Amino acid sequence: MTNYSNRNLVKHKFFNMKMIKAIFFAGLLVVTATSCKKQLDINTDPNNATASTPQLILPQALTATANTLNNYNSMGAQLVGYSANAGGYGGFGTSVTYNFSNTDFSGRWSDTYDNLEDYQYIIDHSKGNPIYSYYTGVAKAMKVLGFEHLVDTYNDVPYTQALLGASNLTPKYDAAKDIYKSLATELDSAMAALTLGDNTPGVTPLGNYDVVFKGSVASWKKFINTLKLRLIIRGNGKVTFANTTFSSDGFLTADALVNPGFTRDNGRQNPAWNTWGFGYTGSDANKAWMPSRFILSFYDGTKLIDPIRGAATYYKFPATPTNQLGVEGTGIAPSPSGSFWYPGSNRSGSTAGNATGALKGPSAGYPLMTLAEAYFLRAEAAVLGITTESAATNFNAGLTAAFTYTLTNESGTVTASPSASLTQYQSDNVTSYLANFALATSTAQQIEAIITQKYIALNFVNSEEAWNEYRRTGYPMVVPGGPAYATFASTVSESTRADKLPARILYPSTEGSYNTANVPQNINPFTSTIFWAK
Amino acid sequence: MKLRKIVLFFAMLIGWSVASLAQTKIVSGKVTGANDQPLSGATIKVEGSQSAATSTNEKGEFKISAKEGNVLLISSVGFKSTTVKVTGAGNYNVNLEVYVNVMDEVIVTAGGIRTKRKEIGTGGTVIKADNLVAGKAVTVAGGLQGKVAGLQINATGGGVNPSYRLVLRGQRSLTGNNQALIVLDNVIVPNEVLTNLNPEDVESVNVLNGAGAAALYGSSASNGALIVTTKKGVRGQSTVTLMNTTTVEQPGFFPKFQTGFGAGGTGYGYWGNFSYLENQSYGPAFDNVKRPIGAPLENGMQDSAVYGYTPGHTKFWVNGLTNQTDFSVSSGDENSTLYLSGQYVTVTGTTPDDKYNRTNFRMNGTRKISNKIGVAYSSSYTQNRYDITSATGSMYANMLNMPNNVDVTKYKDWRNNPFANPNGFYNPWYQNPYFTADNNRSAVRNDYLVANIEIKYSPIQGLDIIARQGITTRNNSNKNWTGQFIYTDYAKHTDQSSKSDISASVSDGAAYTTNLLSDFYAQYQHKIKDFSLNLIGGAQWRQDQAKNVGVSANGLVIPGLYNVSNGVGTPGATETNYMARQLGVYADGRIGYKGYAYLHVTGRRDYVSILDKNNNSFFYPAADLSFIATDAIEALKHNSVLSYLKLRAGWSKVGQVNLGDPSTNYGAYQLLPTFSSTNSGFPYGSLAGYSVGNTLVANNLQPEITKGIEAGFDLNLFRDKFTSTVTYFNTKTDNQTVNTNISSSTGFTGLRTNTGQTQSKGLEVTAHYNVIDNRRNKGLSVTVGGNYTYLENNVNFISAQLPRLSLAAYSTGGTGSYAVAGRSFPVIMGYDYKRDGAGHVIVDKISGLPTKSDTISVLGNATPKDKLGIDISAEYKGFRLSIVMEYRGGYKAYQSMGTELDWSGTGWRTAIYDRKSFVFPNSVYYDGSKYVTNTNISIANGNGNNGFWTDGINRDVSSNYVTSGAFWKLREVALSYSLPSALCAKTKFFKGITVSAQGRNLLILMAKDNYYTDPEYSDAGNNSNGIGLTGLSQSPPSKFYGASVKFTF
Repeated sequence: MTNYSNRNLVKHKFFNMKMIKAIFFAGLLVVTATSCKKQLDINTDPNNATASTPQLILPQALTATANTLNNYNSMGAQLVGYSANAGGYGGFGTSVTYNFSNTDFSGRWSDTYDNLEDYQYIIDHSKGNPIYSYYTGVAKAMKVLGFEHLVDTYNDVPYTQALLGASNLTPKYDAAKDIYKSLATELDSAMAALTLGDNTPGVTPLGNYDVVFKGSVASWKKFINTLKLRLIIRGNGKVTFANTTFSSDGFLTADALVNPGFTRDNGRQNPAWNTWGFGYTGSDANKAWMPSRFILSFYDGTKLIDPIRGAATYYKFPATPTNQLGVEGTGIAPSPSGSFWYPGSNRSGSTAGNATGALKGPSAGYPLMTLAEAYFLRAEAAVLGITTESAATNFNAGLTAAFTYTLTNESGTVTASPSASLTQYQSDNVTSYLANFALATSTAQQIEAIITQKYIALNFVNSEEAWNEYRRTGYPMVVPGGPAYATFASTVSESTRADKLPARILYPSTEGSYNTANVPQNINPFTSTIFWAK
Repeated sequence: MKLRKIVLFFAMLIGWSVASLAQTKIVSGKVTGANDQPLSGATIKVEGSQSAATSTNEKGEFKISAKEGNVLLISSVGFKSTTVKVTGAGNYNVNLEVYVNVMDEVIVTAGGIRTKRKEIGTGGTVIKADNLVAGKAVTVAGGLQGKVAGLQINATGGGVNPSYRLVLRGQRSLTGNNQALIVLDNVIVPNEVLTNLNPEDVESVNVLNGAGAAALYGSSASNGALIVTTKKGVRGQSTVTLMNTTTVEQPGFFPKFQTGFGAGGTGYGYWGNFSYLENQSYGPAFDNVKRPIGAPLENGMQDSAVYGYTPGHTKFWVNGLTNQTDFSVSSGDENSTLYLSGQYVTVTGTTPDDKYNRTNFRMNGTRKISNKIGVAYSSSYTQNRYDITSATGSMYANMLNMPNNVDVTKYKDWRNNPFANPNGFYNPWYQNPYFTADNNRSAVRNDYLVANIEIKYSPIQGLDIIARQGITTRNNSNKNWTGQFIYTDYAKHTDQSSKSDISASVSDGAAYTTNLLSDFYAQYQHKIKDFSLNLIGGAQWRQDQAKNVGVSANGLVIPGLYNVSNGVGTPGATETNYMARQLGVYADGRIGYKGYAYLHVTGRRDYVSILDKNNNSFFYPAADLSFIATDAIEALKHNSVLSYLKLRAGWSKVGQVNLGDPSTNYGAYQLLPTFSSTNSGFPYGSLAGYSVGNTLVANNLQPEITKGIEAGFDLNLFRDKFTSTVTYFNTKTDNQTVNTNISSSTGFTGLRTNTGQTQSKGLEVTAHYNVIDNRRNKGLSVTVGGNYTYLENNVNFISAQLPRLSLAAYSTGGTGSYAVAGRSFPVIMGYDYKRDGAGHVIVDKISGLPTKSDTISVLGNATPKDKLGIDISAEYKGFRLSIVMEYRGGYKAYQSMGTELDWSGTGWRTAIYDRKSFVFPNSVYYDGSKYVTNTNISIANGNGNNGFWTDGINRDVSSNYVTSGAFWKLREVALSYSLPSALCAKTKFFKGITVSAQGRNLLILMAKDNYYTDPEYSDAGNNSNGIGLTGLSQSPPSKFYGASVKFTF
């Protein structure tokens, strides 16, 4: 064989140079063809990850929730009267008329669903794998938190058909009440997952991937109970929950703060500080808003006297300039660098921080839920008969926790004694049932005291919750058409409601464009209320 | 075996010619062309003989063997062929008339294959050098505008080096690439090369309108192709040219301003309604009284202006200056040719202080290594440098927010003039536009190397084996920076100031792209009796690679040190890498019958790296037919009216993989959803965090398939005095790869999937008439003509779940450019007023205010249906005049700057009711049971600030800013004069001197309702299909006036 082919080659060489060239080129083509497969097998992405794990997703998802809540907070603050337009700016448009369009606040919708998809990923990727039970439990709890925010903002939203990706591109909308009911059940399921984790040998711990409780499963169980309590109180009388019991793990005993390691760095600051305080380079943040006259009346003696929290919350208190929403023009003070919500005296952007109040500094944790809110929820639950606890005890514990949160600075130091401050507060307002629960004689007064104190406690902290509670209970009390301290409604409100306030924001325009058949029609910002609204 | 037969065949051929040699004699002669100059390279052929042919030498002389009674056919490209009968005489002098029988003209078509025009069964246009550079446009794209049927060229922005969008026969792909493929010297190059090529280097541009014509280029060819061929040296001619062109660019069209009202509003610092502070022009009517503007400065100085209209807004833009210097050397001998050229262009823009320059070098050559082997190479190196503002949009918005009583130009010197300095600038909310321009800069450098080498091996007669390697590389670096500005305490706290310190930032990036293209093919040409055969088989390998690295830093510590190491905090960093490959094998065959009928068939199979292995190979065929009736039918031959009639028809199917952005990522890595690692500030120290990406990808993505037919004819009348081409085309593109937005409630915001069909059909007509023809004796010669395109570009369907796609929108789901099933592609969608059934605007019974619609609706088609180019050329002695005009119509544009003009109150529209209360025109109100025509319910506040013009309704109703996109533009007027050659000859130095004056866009006539800007612009950029949107990021359209002088040595 060798011999034969050799002979052949020689023959070709002598007889036809062209043939060799032809063979060479043909060979080239064959080589090309065989290496074709290899040539084309180059589509592995060198830029982005195409696979992930629950451990990698969880810390980001929790931090993204903090960012989402920060945007809810900014929205809530202007709707519930914590903030008003500041001097030097104009063109507030629907922010002051309340006649919202479907592009106003549309980020709440997309940010929340985007964040929910991360939790859904964890749930889907830990399904049937008990060693990821803790991740399942946390993701389910956080999914409930996200959907609760959506329902509280939009009422009916896609839930059962949501987050299914390509399987359903146009999810139907579920009734808000039904979603609330499902969310409570989902919390039971989250609790069960955590318990399963406790009983699973080799379970993957949350560890530092949990940027809220640093791996404390017990704390998550408390958070789940508290979140369920919030759902039950808000749906009370409107939703038939499957079960209204709580696990024996109890309710929150500390503020639930998200902190992956916030620091004065590019994109890594506490989100509220970044929005309202200073940029990481020391540049000014948003200066278009300032405190309202209405909220200051709860500190400066107009309604309540609270110099301790007033000074711990506001720059230049008690001389903090204020405005009523809608008033534009000369005479309205501009915001200082760092805003009035940063009370510190160091106003140099690149070193500012270590303050108390709502804007403590760039490295402070962001509250998922404060301990104060948990106590006020328990107080209300007691008043409503959902639990058998003492309303007064929880009310005072809520006030103590509120003082503690406000008086705690960026580095975690409590700058004054909360209990002493509370004593002084209650004696300063000795005749007010808003401060002294014992004076609240009727159920209505008790609820008003609890919600009003929650309103003060949530000031610029979780403002959206205060807005929810106002719409649910009508507290704090406002006097429609009254002076600036008596109502937080805009002076140029176009609202048709008695309180001259909006009832809700609108579904985003993207739903009209991409989910046209399902998005509820004829939603009005003044008359279309959330199911739990008063 | 086959080869042996072929060899045998040729041996026989040679045998025949040897046999006939015996009875011949040698005849010689000289061929001359224009001005009796010797013509080298002319072909002398003995009629009826297959092989006996020669060509003239440098002196135009030839020698050929022929028998007495034989007829010599003498031909040369660009001249009318002639015949001479061999008689007893031995010497023949022949003068050839300058003439191109366009149908016999050999043109470079797909794959670099040279084909006679008459053989081609598809529509196309060839633009020659003279025509391309007549207007002295700085770019090739600019030089093509208005000249080609079926080609729409949009300068998508203003500026020193505008980008162009080139689309042939409408848009096919919904969200993918629709731009024509650019092929430079047979190598596929990125679109941007077209704006960086020296137009003076271009020999011709052959526009292949349809996918069929370009099928050989593979899947990129479904959008048609522009085959750009650069100049080569000419054998026997040595020429040196030197040219300079100076062009003034003058802003030529401005938005219309109101002239009756100045600063004021209801918000700030007013007495009466006049405001010394307001940016908005909603004050009282002008009274021409001098008043203060702005707060007094810290030192007590007070800025002031007469409260009357000043035209400063239009003077903000300055005249730009472009200077082009070119030289070229062209030479050639028996074995090689050489073409060398260089160009240096400097441009200053109409935006103050914007600068640009470009340097080009080119070396093209050919060399015959042996009788069987020839090589050709072309290479060019281009570098460009930008020094421009990076904030055109905000600069323009800031400028519009200077009231109409303020002379904008007086604030130019912000460094020295205390009133122009940000500290003292009267407007506390909107910065001095001159400062904005100066404080936000972009410095970009691009170096391009485009080169290719071709080796042609012709082992036997008729067979050519060609190997070609091309490369295009771009090396880019860019730096953007914003300067620091620390306000004085006084500036920050005086009056209603919201002035905040500006922190300095810088971003720095580097990128490269490398596109490699290897071609290997064999071409075999053969004639058997009445049949001619041209077969091509080949393979192509393509690799595209890109890398981008970017770093950014904020809070720069040392002012003025724009280095990413000078920031605080962690610098931002990005890196992307892309690589994609494509392999294609193809075959192409053309069978001709008796020189009047040609059937052309191509087939190609592509293998791509960017699709899944199961879908990554696809085959597509194309065929076309050409029939020259005037050669085929005896009755039509030698007809004094009908001189030429070619009928043609073609069918084609082409696959295109439309993933990603072909200019940045080549569609690589688009098949899997990704996780991003930089959300929410991650990583925090050692703690990493990833987020699920927002784009879903459907399984089994497949190529888009475009199927189309075209048919038409080429008709010449009156001995070719009248020439015309007519082409009808109809293409459908199926299985669209679509990137669409979806409801966020799915957990994602985007979906990449295959769905939908688009259709594009229309008519392309070109016609020219040589009205006066005295060219032969250098008298007056005039040709008028033009091209017309009718285009219907539609979206037939998308999918049940996705009835529309957002292509480019100002807010998600809001006003923008959309693809909508059953409508033109694309359409402008946006909010309208709520209307009754008859289209009247419904207003409130009490307030008289209209209401914005709840959902967006279709407000107009964004693709011109009618496109007309008219060209006139005239020659007389040494003078040459050429004029090109273009009309586009049948479409709309959304002018987003309208919202800013209304906000600021500088716009004309805001004063149409004299700022008074008015009844909304053509409105109705609901009286409880029916709609009643409204004649008396007025809108109470017809002013700004909280009045009608600045409120959410007026500015949010997009239909207020949708205008007709129709325009007429006088694209080019060029007059040149070439000194008589006799005169030049006397200098013994110059061969020719040509002087010329030219203008471009001298006249810009917009539709009456468009008083905003050029509808050619695209706010979405040149790579987006979302056309029909204009904005403030594009400076006003310009007119160009220039003069050139060219010396030939």
